[in-house]
Amino acid sequence: MMNDILIALQAVATFENLLIMVAGIWGGVIIGAIPGMTGTMAVTLALPFTFYMAPVPSILLLVALYKGSTYGGSVSAILIKTPGTASAACTALDGYPLAQQGKAGKALNMALYSSVTGDFISNLSLIFLAAPLAMLALHVGPPEYFMLMLFALTTVAGVSGNSLLLGLVSAAMGLLLATAGEDMYGSFRFAFTDDMQAGLSVAPVLIGLFALPELIKMIVMRAAPDQETAKLGDQKVSRAEFLSSLKSILRGSSIGVIMGAIPGIGPSAAAFFSYGEAQRSSKNGKNFGKGELEGIAASESANNGACGATMIPLLALGVPGDVITGVMLGAFMIQGLTPGPLLFQTNMHEIYMLFIGMLFSSVLLFGAGKLTMRMFSYVAHIPQTLLTPTVLLLCLFGIYSISSSMFDVTVLLVMGCVGFAMFLLNIPAAPFLIAFILGPMIEENLRRALALSRGEPGILLSSPITWVFAALIVFVVGLTVRREIQKSKERKALIS
Amino acid sequence: MTKPLFRGLLIAAFFALVAAVLIPVYVPRPAFIPGFAPPPDMWPRTVALIGTGLGLLAIVQAVLGRGLPNEELIETDGAPVATMVLRALGAAAAFAGFVLVVPLAGFPIAAMALTGLCILLTGERGHVLWALAISILGPLLLLTFFQQALGTQFPKGMLTTAIGI
Repeated sequence: MMNDILIALQAVATFENLLIMVAGIWGGVIIGAIPGMTGTMAVTLALPFTFYMAPVPSILLLVALYKGSTYGGSVSAILIKTPGTASAACTALDGYPLAQQGKAGKALNMALYSSVTGDFISNLSLIFLAAPLAMLALHVGPPEYFMLMLFALTTVAGVSGNSLLLGLVSAAMGLLLATAGEDMYGSFRFAFTDDMQAGLSVAPVLIGLFALPELIKMIVMRAAPDQETAKLGDQKVSRAEFLSSLKSILRGSSIGVIMGAIPGIGPSAAAFFSYGEAQRSSKNGKNFGKGELEGIAASESANNGACGATMIPLLALGVPGDVITGVMLGAFMIQGLTPGPLLFQTNMHEIYMLFIGMLFSSVLLFGAGKLTMRMFSYVAHIPQTLLTPTVLLLCLFGIYSISSSMFDVTVLLVMGCVGFAMFLLNIPAAPFLIAFILGPMIEENLRRALALSRGEPGILLSSPITWVFAALIVFVVGLTVRREIQKSKERKALIS
Repeated sequence: MTKPLFRGLLIAAFFALVAAVLIPVYVPRPAFIPGFAPPPDMWPRTVALIGTGLGLLAIVQAVLGRGLPNEELIETDGAPVATMVLRALGAAAAFAGFVLVVPLAGFPIAAMALTGLCILLTGERGHVLWALAISILGPLLLLTFFQQALGTQFPKGMLTTAIGI
């Protein structure tokens, strides 16, 4: 094992790989710092470029973008009170008041230290938890996999948007779209044109669904944010300030790891939960929301703590926990690697390389954060009216370069319009995408299970593992419905 | 008609259309299916029927006014709805125009036109030099990068080829 690790270390520590990771982290931080640009967008826009790279560097690039953008989201949250990513919403609560007090640099530094700590702990958890989970997963069959994926899909549908029903509708649309093309027995489904016989590629669907609606929103609504950018001011975080926040950083990192490892939860929920816990237990709880460094520490350690952990279900079980890991699953498949338990047997070298690369990226995140701090106040002010058309341009060239097919470009543009229609109808896009990626696997496992049982659907509830997942699905649905009823009551009370 | 009711009707109609019209026509059953394997239309039909059920549930929710999701306010520049519909149609027309123009003008020129048009459609009038740089130099830079670094050959247009570009 030690020999394998050393070989992997040697393979990762090349100038080319380090350059890729630096570019990924830096690009991610900058994209995350721009309001309206999300980590999902950063990862999806980079996807076409990974087609021309070796498997491990391509995944490292996407992981670096993910981590960088998660930290970068805190920059605009602190400087202009506009979280670059949803997971940085809590950071704005204390970051912006600190910036107004002339301590933006201090807030940014605390966000960086917490993010790097959370990220490092998250990577360690991935290294130690993914392999045992994968070994366990080797003993499960098609019914168990079907139920596991159904559970992941239900969770994503429940936590995306503000209605379980609309989340499930979105997932159903994604599952349906995934059936287009040739099925496992050679039948062509929904092949309206010759191009559709091969089905729809992942990249144009997901890039269209996530990147283009922002442009269409900008064209139709034209609601541009108008905020003042704070100056960096006081920058240094003292040793005492860091130590007083250390408890919140470690707790936030643990919360991030646990919530990141559960499919469908992800960094945003982890950040909110960690912030709430820190506020409840801190002796400075009353200062939260008024410019408390500990609030930033709790939020940032949790959202970056979730980054590495979201890779645990992806690598061990082949189940993406959120949209970004969904994109990464697509990248793995494009590279001929199939995440899941077998990956730990057939591609152990690549797995070690990935783990080592992820540890490297924690260090690089620190360096990139420090070096780019001065640049942030400019980045956060790029006009959206120029930025979103530039994104469109990148999408057009990127998608065409993947397959040299105008059909894929057309799919990209159509999916942009679909994404915008879904936005207008309040239908969340995340379950659609996860369902589109998981759809073929869900169907394959269901059909295999039914073939094994000679058409008897009872096989889906035939083992303790399937029962556990069925119970979890019922639990998640129950919990979400209860939450929605409570919200509905609160709204009615507010109106009356 | 309220937005939740319209949404429910749209969802139910879409999935019902798929289940009743598209699947029978566009999902053919093979003459021979090995073993006890389910036919290819089993999964899309199941999903479409579940989707129809969810749509009907959304209609019931809308009619009874219970359990409706919190409709988030959409921020706009205050323009009338008709103007916004026109803008949306403009965006859709620009996208469709791009696909139609590529065979005539080629990919890079069509991309330049689409980017420039989109910048105009966003209402941007202040940063003229930046807008021009993004619309003209942006596609040229990307074209060079993808052609030189990755060897991608982008479609040339009939008209641009005829005039020797």
